[in-house]
Amino acid sequence: MQLGDNISFAFPEIWLAISAMALLMIGVFIDSKYHRFISFGAIFSIFVALFLVNFGTASENASLFNGAFVTDGFGQFSKSVIYVAAIFAIILSDRFMERERLARFEYPVLILLSVLGMSLMVASTDLISVYMGIELQSLALYILATFNRDSRRSTEAGLKYFVLGALSSGLMLYGMSLIYGFTGATTFEAIAAGADEANRIGLIFGMVFLISGLSFKVSAAPFHMWTPDVYEGSPTPVTAFFAAAPKFAAMAIFARVLVEAFPAATDALSDWQQVIVLVSILSMVVGAFSAIAQKNIKRLMAYSSIGHMGYALMGLAAGTSQGISSVLVYMTIYLIMTIGTFACILMMRRPEGMAENISDLSGLSQTRPGLAIMFSALMFSLAGIPIFLGFFAKLYVFMAAVNAGLFVLVVVGALSSVIATYYYLRVVKIIWMDEPAPEFERDAGPGVKGVAILSTVLIVAGIVVIMPFLNIAAEAAAATLF
Amino acid sequence: MEPFVVLLPLFGALLAMPIGRMVSARAAELTTIAFVLMACLIAWVLFFDVAVGHNARTIQLFTWIGSGNFIADWAVKLDTMSVIMLVVITSVSSLVHIYSVGYMHDDASRPRFFAYLSLFTFAMLTLVTADNFIQLFFGWEGVGLASYLLIGFYHHKKSANDAAIKAFVVNRVGDFGFALGIMAIFFIFGSVGFEEVFQAVRTDAVVTPFNAADGAPISELTVGFLGLELHALTLIGILLFIGAMGKSAQFFLHTWLPDAMEGPTPVSALIHAATMVTAGVFLVCRCSIIYENAPDAATLVTFIGATTAFFAATVGLLQDDIKKVIAYSTCSQLGYMFFAAGVGSYGAAMFHLFTHAFFKALLFLGAGSVIHAVHHEQDMKKMGGVRHILPFTYAMMIIGTIAITGVGFPFLYDIFHFPVGTAGFASKDAIIEAAYAAGTEGRTGAYYAFAMGLIAAVFTSFYSWRLIFLTFHGKSRAPDHVMKHPHFPPNWMLLPLAVLAFGALFAGMLGYKSFVGDKAASFWGNSIYIAGDAHAGGESHAVEAYAAEATPPVEGDHAETPAIASAEDPAGAAHDEAEEHTEGYGEEGEGHHFPLWVLYAPLLAMLIGFGTAFAHYMRGSDPLRPGLLREGGILYSFLKNKWYVDEVYRFLFLNPSRRLGRILWKIGDGRIIDGLGPDGLSGLAGFGSRLIVRLQSGYIYHYAFAMLVGIGVILLIVRLGGAQ
Amino acid sequence: MIGLGHYLTVAAILFAIGACGIFINRKNVIIILMSIELMLLAVNINLVAFSQFLGDLVGQVFAFMVLTVAAAEAAIGLAILVTFFRNRGDIAVDDANLMKN
Repeated sequence: MQLGDNISFAFPEIWLAISAMALLMIGVFIDSKYHRFISFGAIFSIFVALFLVNFGTASENASLFNGAFVTDGFGQFSKSVIYVAAIFAIILSDRFMERERLARFEYPVLILLSVLGMSLMVASTDLISVYMGIELQSLALYILATFNRDSRRSTEAGLKYFVLGALSSGLMLYGMSLIYGFTGATTFEAIAAGADEANRIGLIFGMVFLISGLSFKVSAAPFHMWTPDVYEGSPTPVTAFFAAAPKFAAMAIFARVLVEAFPAATDALSDWQQVIVLVSILSMVVGAFSAIAQKNIKRLMAYSSIGHMGYALMGLAAGTSQGISSVLVYMTIYLIMTIGTFACILMMRRPEGMAENISDLSGLSQTRPGLAIMFSALMFSLAGIPIFLGFFAKLYVFMAAVNAGLFVLVVVGALSSVIATYYYLRVVKIIWMDEPAPEFERDAGPGVKGVAILSTVLIVAGIVVIMPFLNIAAEAAAATLF
Repeated sequence: MEPFVVLLPLFGALLAMPIGRMVSARAAELTTIAFVLMACLIAWVLFFDVAVGHNARTIQLFTWIGSGNFIADWAVKLDTMSVIMLVVITSVSSLVHIYSVGYMHDDASRPRFFAYLSLFTFAMLTLVTADNFIQLFFGWEGVGLASYLLIGFYHHKKSANDAAIKAFVVNRVGDFGFALGIMAIFFIFGSVGFEEVFQAVRTDAVVTPFNAADGAPISELTVGFLGLELHALTLIGILLFIGAMGKSAQFFLHTWLPDAMEGPTPVSALIHAATMVTAGVFLVCRCSIIYENAPDAATLVTFIGATTAFFAATVGLLQDDIKKVIAYSTCSQLGYMFFAAGVGSYGAAMFHLFTHAFFKALLFLGAGSVIHAVHHEQDMKKMGGVRHILPFTYAMMIIGTIAITGVGFPFLYDIFHFPVGTAGFASKDAIIEAAYAAGTEGRTGAYYAFAMGLIAAVFTSFYSWRLIFLTFHGKSRAPDHVMKHPHFPPNWMLLPLAVLAFGALFAGMLGYKSFVGDKAASFWGNSIYIAGDAHAGGESHAVEAYAAEATPPVEGDHAETPAIASAEDPAGAAHDEAEEHTEGYGEEGEGHHFPLWVLYAPLLAMLIGFGTAFAHYMRGSDPLRPGLLREGGILYSFLKNKWYVDEVYRFLFLNPSRRLGRILWKIGDGRIIDGLGPDGLSGLAGFGSRLIVRLQSGYIYHYAFAMLVGIGVILLIVRLGGAQ
Repeated sequence: MIGLGHYLTVAAILFAIGACGIFINRKNVIIILMSIELMLLAVNINLVAFSQFLGDLVGQVFAFMVLTVAAAEAAIGLAILVTFFRNRGDIAVDDANLMKN
């Protein structure tokens, strides 16, 4: 294939790269009070990328750059979700950044760069491109975590994230080097072909290191420790972004690596399945228990996200097409819930600054009934109570795990979801039943309000509105991996 | 038309809040009432169409989830069982809606209340019209949610909040079992639709669970669960029953129901007496075919049901809160329904469910009327003499009481060929007799259930009459201003009482023949398993009858039974015998089969209870100091403290889990970290325990270390696992 | 004769030293950055050794990629460290525990 032919399939990524650099240059030269222009530019360019992914040449199936990069249904689905999540993250930041005096043009550019990284990552079928994608994403995220550079908490969050992230990259790379050494290849296809009984032990070592690195990115236990601290320290819109798009991207590449490079056909399934089962159980348990005593809502969301990653990994552990499609459905629904919740958290502002404690929510139903209803619905959904979308997400992964015969996982999952219900309900109880705290300010801005309302509507009505076609799309996407 | 019976209450729920805000609270009330009444009307039409006209059908609305072989539709399944539930739910719900207009008239957030009531009704209707387990579970959780919202409706009361959360959490324990049960069904049958599953059980089809190499007939199939090899149907039956126990407040999981009385009284009448709590009974009856093929599971149902009937009745004896007496009474009556189902008499269980809805709603609404009148006082010790101010309510409560205690005339049976007496008489006697009959057939636990049922009947009568005597008779013990200026119930509240009283008196006599009498077989059609209660050894005969005739439509009576045993005997003879039994059952009624004392025992039990209550509370010098159960005595404290179940739970479950939560919380607490010394890796000794304490300490090197240990542990496990 | 095993052993030892450096050191964040570099270099030794052993160039390409990314990573790490230092006036690892449970 000619280079020109190849490039047309990578148009979304190329477009993102060019527009990120262009916006960076524009941002340097225009006056800082026009930072909004850069935000709009970033949103626009992600929209264009979204369009290119779904309607351009990039929507066709192809494998390019010597098998390092593919365009397929799985990548298309993942990229679409990631792009939409990134757009919401930029919208959420708008008013917040202004009021915290953080409004700088670099923010949308960094988001754009990390989206580029994620986009490359979910489409890569070679260890080298996986590494490059993950690093591009992570490096941008490290800076985003430190974005409030005059805050001790923010810089500390950035430092922790950076050091631990670099460690996890090191672990992952070590795993990749072992996999390369024992199979003699870096493309997934060749790895799957090169696996045999002779090199099994070495391959398993490499695989475990690789899984550890990826588990870090999805913040699954025992590689989750950075999550609460980084969530708490980073500026809230950044946390919202952390909790959404990168999680999805990491989970997607997690699924792609395991399914394509270690397919069921080569016996590798049983090797990684037990690791994923272990990680999934640990995450669910850690998420459920640690969240109980949290006082800070962002920390609570961190533990909640750890727990949710455990459930998503449950679908991955199944290792079947149904399992992967359940992961995609779960992650998409989780994204809707988490973005909505962070939009609500961004509305928790008093004249003296952002309120981040759960106790600040007390009596919200009396001061801000609309916000209280949205918050409660989101909590119910996160807890996985039926009627709300979160229940269907759980149902899907549970069914996939049952089909794969992973009963221990199902039992632990069901138990920890019972425990998790407790802390979500505690938030609801505080909102509805405690004495009112001082009222929050009402000028969160149309963007944040719109996002909160949209996601609440989706999780309440989603069973009719998005469930049927999300289901079909995810199944089609998952099928391309097999 | 059919979907509307389910959807109308939802419309009401959605409209109530906007209308309440934009027009007026009264408009919101009337809107929801109108919608529920319409649903009620449709339900009755459907009842006659489906149950009387034998026109069972299922309407598919749309598919919720279709993933491979995992398909869950939203459907409206109409068969005799579901239309009975439809009628009960919509009728009681309409009455409670109407009643609430009067009861809640001074509450500011009425539209919200009515929205919740309608939402509950919708969820409950979704539950009973399900044609698959997923929709059933959906409705199941929906009613749980609505119940949570309604129990916590008075959210300024701390006890109401606590009760709401308790109800939710206890129910989650049950739901956990239920969810596992559904998964087990899906795993074994590869489907969650009622028709597919029940048909497989009925025909003893060969099924192949996922990841199993080869299938086996369902009656012999075993599955490995948590390391045990269990009979598949028994496992499913037990798991489903755990769900039913939670929802229907059966022993071990009953603790939430009395606390749920913190909610407004109309809620107690609708949710915690007539409808939601009976969902468990509904589930067991819906899955009757499974329980009939899983004798161990059925025995468990019998034991738990009978124990609950007895346990709750004893606790009810000494409660002073008028609503808690009725709550324990509900618990006890649900126990009756369960052991009826456990001994195989599903018709009797549904019959009691049906009649119970009327008289228990009546009692609750009557109690609500009293509570309303005495300025929201619920302690019976502070009542007394209320009959002077509420004569109508008094009469209604008496009707409710004679209904629940089962006043009737067994000797008139031979003349009229149906039981002459109140609703409770007809249904409760049917249950007790069914238990006795099952005992004579050698069904495990049936005699135990029979004995417990009789003893519980004595207690039922005692606490019911005690309630009447303490509340309505004697001198008033309320403060003067309350008795001088009681809140008289408006007509909104009295009308529903009268309607329910009619049901409490006559529902038993009207329904007897269809539910358990000679028309039962054609009435129930395909919807539940019916072994004639009076059949001697009904099961095996019925089995052979089935083998003889594949699918006889009307004699579904015994034909529905699955073929467990092979038909080695001449099948025709067995069939004849079974038919003979049916005839005997139909023409002479069950009375024929029982010794006289069994027939009269319930009535006698009732009289004993009444007599004792009368002696204690009407004749004694001080009605609050009865002789038998003296305050301070061991028996007194035992019963007063509800057998100490809550305390035991607190000790066994609540404290440890709190402690665990606290430990995990303290893990990160700086003081502990400091207390153990800041030296990270100074000593490798005691390293494991300190590791846990050091988690989430905020130090980068701890986090990095945890990651490396994690990877080490994973490698170790994979190596060990791989070596095998 | 020095074979593949020797290279792998050296790489594994270097990797372990790097990993230990991250959690044993608690004085200075700079040392952590150095440890990270050490780990990445250990990986590079692995890659190059495998590449040579397999007679396949991809491993060396990979090593170059890693080197490039490591440089970018170090730059960003130092930048973060500078902002941290500006806020705290010190770069002791122990100081970075404002946020914890």
